[in-house]
Amino acid sequence: MATYDLEEQEQIDILKAWWKRNGNMVILAVAVFAVTLSAVQGWRYYQHNQAIKASMAYEVLQSMTKSDDTKKVRDAAGQIMELYPASPYAARAALIAAKANHDAGDAQSATAQLQWAADHAKEDAVRDIARLRLAGQLLDEKKYAEALKQVEMNPVPAFMALFSDMKGDILTAQGKPTEARVAYQAALDKVGEKSSYRQLIKMKIENLGG
Amino acid sequence: MLDVIRERAQGWLAKVILALITVPFALWGVDSYLRHGGDGAIVAKVDGQTISKQEFNLALRDQKERMRAVMKASFDPTLLDKPEIRQAILNNMIEQRLLAGGAVKAGLVVSDELLVRFVSEIPEFQENGKFSQSRYESLLRAQSMTPPAFEARLRQSLMIEQLVDGLTTSSLLSNAALDSFVRINEQQREVVQAMIYPEQFMPQIKVGMDEIKGYYEKHKEEFRVPEQARLEYVVLSVDDLTFQMTATEDEIKKYYGEHVAQFQEAEQRQASHILIPVAVKAGDAEKKAAREKAEKLFKEAKQSPGNFAELAKKNSQDPGSAANGGDLGFFARGAMVKPFEDAVFKMSAGEVVGPIQSDFGFHIIKLTGVKPGKARTLAEAKEEIGLELRKQKAAKRFAEMAETFSNMVYEQPDSLKPVAESLKLKIQTSPWIGKKGGDVALLNNAKLLQAVFSDEGVKLKRNTEAIEVRPNALVSARIVDFKPASYKPVEELSVELGGRLQRELADVQATKQGEMALAKLSQGKEVSELKWGAPIMISRQAAGTLGEAAVGAIFKADAGKLPVFTGVHDTKGGYLLIKVNRVVDSGHLDDAKKKGHAEKLRQLLMQEYYAAYVASLKQKADISIKNDQLEKVEH
Repeated sequence: MATYDLEEQEQIDILKAWWKRNGNMVILAVAVFAVTLSAVQGWRYYQHNQAIKASMAYEVLQSMTKSDDTKKVRDAAGQIMELYPASPYAARAALIAAKANHDAGDAQSATAQLQWAADHAKEDAVRDIARLRLAGQLLDEKKYAEALKQVEMNPVPAFMALFSDMKGDILTAQGKPTEARVAYQAALDKVGEKSSYRQLIKMKIENLGG
Repeated sequence: MLDVIRERAQGWLAKVILALITVPFALWGVDSYLRHGGDGAIVAKVDGQTISKQEFNLALRDQKERMRAVMKASFDPTLLDKPEIRQAILNNMIEQRLLAGGAVKAGLVVSDELLVRFVSEIPEFQENGKFSQSRYESLLRAQSMTPPAFEARLRQSLMIEQLVDGLTTSSLLSNAALDSFVRINEQQREVVQAMIYPEQFMPQIKVGMDEIKGYYEKHKEEFRVPEQARLEYVVLSVDDLTFQMTATEDEIKKYYGEHVAQFQEAEQRQASHILIPVAVKAGDAEKKAAREKAEKLFKEAKQSPGNFAELAKKNSQDPGSAANGGDLGFFARGAMVKPFEDAVFKMSAGEVVGPIQSDFGFHIIKLTGVKPGKARTLAEAKEEIGLELRKQKAAKRFAEMAETFSNMVYEQPDSLKPVAESLKLKIQTSPWIGKKGGDVALLNNAKLLQAVFSDEGVKLKRNTEAIEVRPNALVSARIVDFKPASYKPVEELSVELGGRLQRELADVQATKQGEMALAKLSQGKEVSELKWGAPIMISRQAAGTLGEAAVGAIFKADAGKLPVFTGVHDTKGGYLLIKVNRVVDSGHLDDAKKKGHAEKLRQLLMQEYYAAYVASLKQKADISIKNDQLEKVEH
């Protein structure tokens, strides 16, 4: 054992005293840190696992859409929405289920699924897609005010043209050609120069007369 | 699950994957994950991810190949020098980057398990219905791709598919939208037309020389005559040299002797068969039953070989051949499955053997014909060999001469005579040609034309360097006569321009007249001098000879109070007045027609959703494009 000189000895004493006072805190902090870290890692791992499962389920759902078996599609989509609601697959599944229901004549379920997608979508663009389609469903049910409410919420800029176009459809159905024209014109201003949809909007304006 | 994937693996996705492996290109952007961005120039940056010059060039090259494959001879490689095309290709690459990035950001995952299943279900990677690792690797190697690189690409396309497909294909049509779409497309309107032609105003319009000059100045660019030159040029090509070469009898004989195999035609055999199918995976009992059945048929066939066709017609379960009495026609080795082939090429004519087992099941085979292999004689092959030998000699000679050619045109840049004399080439002269080429196909090479019309070429009339205008053909050219760009003088054009100007002014008159008439008609007044045609029914889809503007005007006309008048300036000159008599909305549509409209509208919506979705990614992304890197650089 080497002998410490006085100064070193002093420092060691200070350190010891400090440890006596704060040692437990340090151990606690390290422990908390370790627990948090592993919790975060565990959470990430769990999330990744969930995403993988959702992805698998989604693949199955996608291939089912080709079979025209509405019940199967609905069940598969329902499962994703229920088990992995936080995953990006859930809203997509809801959109797919809504189409299957709509095509099978079940407008009520379609509306419910679109509402779900609009409420739960994690991506803004997906939410806007859901709102657009929801507005179309409500329009068919002649719930004009509710339909308008969907497209009066602000979408991400890229969906502005489709929103205005839908607004025009609703206003036309309400028998308000002047307002509808304004909406279609707004859609025309936003829609892509080369988009084929542009032509359709133009024709809708022409169809209003003038 | 597996069935599901198999079903999809054989559908469109399989095609995408096939495109991925057969078209080794970088549009999909994975390479930048795998490689270190590549060193050197960058064309664009998408959210920190780069598109390197190298990747862009690869994409360009692949686009070129695809266009060449589709357009064949009419393909013009300079098309890809057009800025808008290059921009479009870059946009496509950016879009892929955006989608790939979007998929990651959204939290989409494609697991290894899923990937493995996909790969193993792709028919191209299978042997005998099963995934084959060696086939997989060799197919990829043939495209100079490694499995990890391919898998990364595949994973990315799967993720993009997950990201976008569910959003677009789930487009649903509201009844209101569909009804209005049908109405718009199916509505018919009965119209009569009256045209006010500019010609009727022509005699009153006089134009003087001053006006013509003014008109000329305004449209001067139309009358620009680009610079032209006449060239003299020398060509060194393997094709030309081939004519000068000779091949001796001895050489031909020697070649024939060394390449005997090349002049052999393989033996062909004709066989009929009866197939009792059984799957490779079938159980033992099933196999046994099939074998017994085949044995029985074999005995029958063996007893009366003459009735083989009859027997095959009744019993064979090969849908392709049963109806023809089992006849498979003539085939050489390599055309049939191995066990079948081995049996056929061991039999003698008329013999019946069986049952032979292959992957298809059990075969009973009768050999009905043999065409022995035959060799082409030396005399028959002589011409072909001679040409081949001359070509080989020419290629060798070309290689020897090419360097001298290149050096001489460069070292004595003011004349082509030295090179022509020393290599015994002919100096040829071209007719007038422009910067974009002319009637001599050989000279229509971008690099050559650029060199010819360069400063040095025009001012100093220097030889161009030796340029390979196509494989195995070198050309050097120099200008002998040059006409700078000029404008056709106005004097030469005065008649033509006078006519044009007169017609334009008459058109203005006609339009004015037409608009006045329309105003009167709209007030309910008569306009007596108009000649109305017969009423016709038009719809947007069947608009006859009417142009887009006229159709738009007709369907824009307020149908509230009929008849209603409208009018448009005709693109060919003149003013078209239109009277809409009545509007006929589509009555009941048959289902097929309605479905057609629904499908069309759905497609439109899907496209628009896709475009909007990509735009939404774009708006959030940080994209920078280096325009100077995008442009074509001449080397």
